[in-house]
Amino acid sequence: MSPIIEIKNVSKEFKVLNRREGLKGSLRDLFSRDYKIVRAVDNISMQIGQGDIVGYLGPNGAGKSTTIKMMTGVLEPTSGEIFVNGNVPYANRTKNAQEIGVVFGQRSQLWWALPLVESFRILKDIYQISDADYESMLSLYKSLVDIEELLHKPVRQMSLGQRTLSDILAAFLHNPKIVFLDEPTIGLDVSMKSKIRTLIQALNSQKNTTVILTTHDMGDVDALCRRIVIIDKGKMLYDNDIGHLKKFFGAYRTLMIRTDKEPDKQVELFREELQKYKVAVSSADEWISILVNEDEVTVMEVLEAVRNRHEIFDMKLEEISTEEVIKRIYEGRTI
Amino acid sequence: MKFKKYLSLTRAGIIESLQFRLSMFIMVLGNILYLTVVYFLWRAIYASAGTDTVNGMTFSDTLIYLVLATALFNFMEMYTVWEMGRNIQTGKIVLDLLKPMRYRSFLFWTFSGTFVVNFFATFLPTFIVVCIVTKGAVPLGINLLYFVVAVVMAVIINYSIDFIVGTICLYTESIWGINIMKQVIVLLLSGATIPIAFFPEPLKTVVGYMPFQSIYNTPLTILLNGGGGQEVFHALGVQMLWCVGLLFVSSLFWSLSLKKITVNGG
Repeated sequence: MSPIIEIKNVSKEFKVLNRREGLKGSLRDLFSRDYKIVRAVDNISMQIGQGDIVGYLGPNGAGKSTTIKMMTGVLEPTSGEIFVNGNVPYANRTKNAQEIGVVFGQRSQLWWALPLVESFRILKDIYQISDADYESMLSLYKSLVDIEELLHKPVRQMSLGQRTLSDILAAFLHNPKIVFLDEPTIGLDVSMKSKIRTLIQALNSQKNTTVILTTHDMGDVDALCRRIVIIDKGKMLYDNDIGHLKKFFGAYRTLMIRTDKEPDKQVELFREELQKYKVAVSSADEWISILVNEDEVTVMEVLEAVRNRHEIFDMKLEEISTEEVIKRIYEGRTI
Repeated sequence: MKFKKYLSLTRAGIIESLQFRLSMFIMVLGNILYLTVVYFLWRAIYASAGTDTVNGMTFSDTLIYLVLATALFNFMEMYTVWEMGRNIQTGKIVLDLLKPMRYRSFLFWTFSGTFVVNFFATFLPTFIVVCIVTKGAVPLGINLLYFVVAVVMAVIINYSIDFIVGTICLYTESIWGINIMKQVIVLLLSGATIPIAFFPEPLKTVVGYMPFQSIYNTPLTILLNGGGGQEVFHALGVQMLWCVGLLFVSSLFWSLSLKKITVNGG
């Protein structure tokens, strides 16, 4: 199967004026030719197949949006090649647009003053969707979400959640091959987030639409993505299954223990006692948390060692969360 | 069928501007106030001149001209520069660029609805009132047809100029000053605030080589002078040249600028 998106050694550089500080500096900046080159994306390659949901992660300013803009054709890469659906996006932007849908979490493409259904009608004409396709898409929407009430509501009167939901529906309306979702769940409440995840999942499986998702919410990643790509400072750090992610950084589990004493005071003691097991000890509320790498030592051994010296009131075992792994990658630690 | 996607935008624009009833009433009210000021200003000018005709125009000629210029302004001004500037600042322009349509057309047709509404809400009523009040001072004949043609070209010229100024916002990232400057220059040099007949000779010559008079002065002169003849065709020809020229220039400037944006980020 040939990939729908192919990115080969892509880099993107921006020329930025070196700004000086203060009034004098600002005045001198007016005539300055002192530019520096910022490499926002640095030699990235990946292939994405039709129907995949790929989580594209990275801390703020990592170069995620820049990559998305290059894939949609708004930006031209400084070097390297991108093919989306066989097209070079920036050279055939208008043609490429017919095959992609975009949602930028913070902005809306809908007609502000009009009821949602009017926006849909305009999009139907702009993308030249046939009546039959349009109707079948609408009935699919109706089966997935409670859209009836939204359709006749002006977009400006919608809540953020309703608007995001509408924007996602609008992006899928012309049945594009690829949909780019840039932080779609930003600022939404828990129930709306889960609604939106279910919707994306359903549209992806029903229409076999490729979804590229950037987010800072690991809930989104866990619920939707089979594969994740992590970049930071423009460089690719990770590109693999989500299952691999945890193994990749070791088989970590967290053992939480409660004793009769204040946990804050015991952390040091625990650290000393468990030194040979190479575990990380910290305190969290009334718990002492011990991060165990199961490649080094089993949780049972550690538990045994603790039990020999302390009276354990309570204990629980936690798998390391995706969030924890990602956080560690962002912070540049290998735990 | 292919044209339907444009008309769909017009339709949306019509519905959208009809949503804001209050703003329409306020616009009409603002107009009446402006025209009152114009009336008293020019009455004072004519009174101090002491003659019935100044620069070949009588008081009522001038007034009819200015009333219709205002009406024309109200329906032709599309606030393209504001919209482009705002879209650039907020980054919404990315979403518009990702429509399967050229940005220029997308923006134009998005505005075209307002255009239709304003034509029926301001220009047409004003025109009819002027015709009735002046009892035939405006000739109604073949000149109406030429007027329509001239207005269509004026719209294109106006939009192209706006689009060029809007494109400049890609570089400056600020709108206000540039837009105000553009508005003042266009309104003055196009003859929308003062009829070009009143301009001193040197300025008149300079203005003759500029595209601005094609926006307001040409359509209005054709409408008010009546008849056809050599002069009308000459004026339309000049308009046509500006039309083609500016379409080309704005198109070129935009694609060059967009290239810069896609190379250096937006």
